[in-house]
Amino acid sequence: MRTIIQATGLTKKFGDLTAVAGISFEIEEGECFGFLGPNGAGKTTTVRMIHCVSPITSGSILVNGLPAGVDNRKIKAMTGVIPQEITLDNDLTVVENLMVFSKFFDIPRREAKKRVDELIAFVELEVKRNNKISDLSTGMKRRLLVARALLNKPAIIIADEPTTGLDPQARHLIWQRLRLLKNQGTTLILTTQYMEEAQQLCDRIVVMYEGKILKAGIPSRLIEDEIGREVVEIRIAEDQDARLLADLGPFACGHERAGDTLFFYCRDGHGIQKKLVELDLPNTVHRPATLEDVFLKLTGRSLIE
Amino acid sequence: MNLSRRAFLVFYRNLVSYKRFVVSTFFASLIQPLFYLVTFGIGMGAYMGQFGGKTYLSFLVPGVLISSVMMSSTFESLYGAFVKMIHERLYDSLIATPVSAEDAVTGDILWGAFRGLISGGLMMAVAFFMGVFPVSAFAGLLLTVLMVLIGIMFGSMGMIVTSYAPNFDFFNYYTELVITPMLFFSGVFFPLDNFPGWMKTLAQFLPLTHAVEISRAVYAGVYPKGLLLHLAFILGLTAVAFWFGVMRMKKRLIK
Repeated sequence: MRTIIQATGLTKKFGDLTAVAGISFEIEEGECFGFLGPNGAGKTTTVRMIHCVSPITSGSILVNGLPAGVDNRKIKAMTGVIPQEITLDNDLTVVENLMVFSKFFDIPRREAKKRVDELIAFVELEVKRNNKISDLSTGMKRRLLVARALLNKPAIIIADEPTTGLDPQARHLIWQRLRLLKNQGTTLILTTQYMEEAQQLCDRIVVMYEGKILKAGIPSRLIEDEIGREVVEIRIAEDQDARLLADLGPFACGHERAGDTLFFYCRDGHGIQKKLVELDLPNTVHRPATLEDVFLKLTGRSLIE
Repeated sequence: MNLSRRAFLVFYRNLVSYKRFVVSTFFASLIQPLFYLVTFGIGMGAYMGQFGGKTYLSFLVPGVLISSVMMSSTFESLYGAFVKMIHERLYDSLIATPVSAEDAVTGDILWGAFRGLISGGLMMAVAFFMGVFPVSAFAGLLLTVLMVLIGIMFGSMGMIVTSYAPNFDFFNYYTELVITPMLFFSGVFFPLDNFPGWMKTLAQFLPLTHAVEISRAVYAGVYPKGLLLHLAFILGLTAVAFWFGVMRMKKRLIK
């Protein structure tokens, strides 16, 4: 595997606010790399610096060996961006949106026509090809954004929260398409707040919080290391904690109280399961650990505003 | 300034989208100047008799022509650019491609100039049928070049305003405090000769004054030496406003 993106001491300041605080990471060619984090963690700012639409305050990024901030046009020519917000050209039809965009990448007209037809089929928008953007549902608009990001046959795709506001069908269609692209060798960079999305798509993730990387690694291993395999949630008043800790504590590798719930994290759920049956507690959930548990453990369970 | 031929691709994008609005904008950019010509030119002109050796209408046409260019290109870079920047987020998607922020803004300034040229061209055609036309085909050609230049100038000035605008209402300051007064103090509707001295001096700082002077001279086909000063003012201001407008917008687009 070859490193396609290398960030060193990457920092971004907006006035007094530090959005990205000196982070370093490497992304391998052909992998799907995820930036996870709550709102304002610095995910979007980081990917914006990768594709050269946000100047770097200090530190550096090399994209395919080219320094971001210097070779911007070359970097943008090899990158496809699926933006967080719907930035389609409302005055144009589906086909026109793609044809006009192909010009920005210097794709010859004949080639562009062929590619636009292929991409419209790829995102299943054939029936809407001559409709205006206002006729499309949110899911269709997002699919068109995917198609638009692929016009230049990018080596790197940056998907900034690509499924925000979508229903499950539309979300799964986008995931399928992104996986297909990854299987064809495209490097995928994903930012998301949806842990399921990260688990579905990412080979490696970093969890960002307040501009810093808290943890980095392979999703399944992060879950195992931070949480264990299983989680028991017990909705019970706080004054019961001491009793439950005495009963269940020995079977768990960690616990946490958050609001109305006491969490136990376990490597092996058998022991705790037996004990739970014995105690016969109401309002208890016993389930596999997910990335969401890791995320909440690292970034805190209270609201972030 | 990272400017490339891709500015013309942004212009092309506008052209593709324009075909849907072409009829309504023709109408819109024609109606106000046409009112000026009919009400002032024919209505008032009838009471004025000869006006410096010619009809009032023929005095009026070169000025109204330039002010319609000013209006069109100004509005394109105020409201047009603001919608693209804030509401449609179009600039964001442009600068994610090899198009630079400078290309995108320049393409839109050129587009504003083109819209100005259409407005001015329509005025020229209407005036033609009212019996007022440039002295020669060459003069007509020069006027075309002048309209593009004036469009770039006002488009660039508008971009500076847009780069500071927090919302649409902000534009009222510019249109009501700069553009509208300029329309009345730049010799479009009457000569500046009867203004007191300080107002005459003030008028010399208004870009529209110089544009109208050139337009009037070209229409009549007389080119006094003083014209070069007017042209120098226009060229200088255009260069400064263009540079400043593009760089200010870039700062706002690339954060």
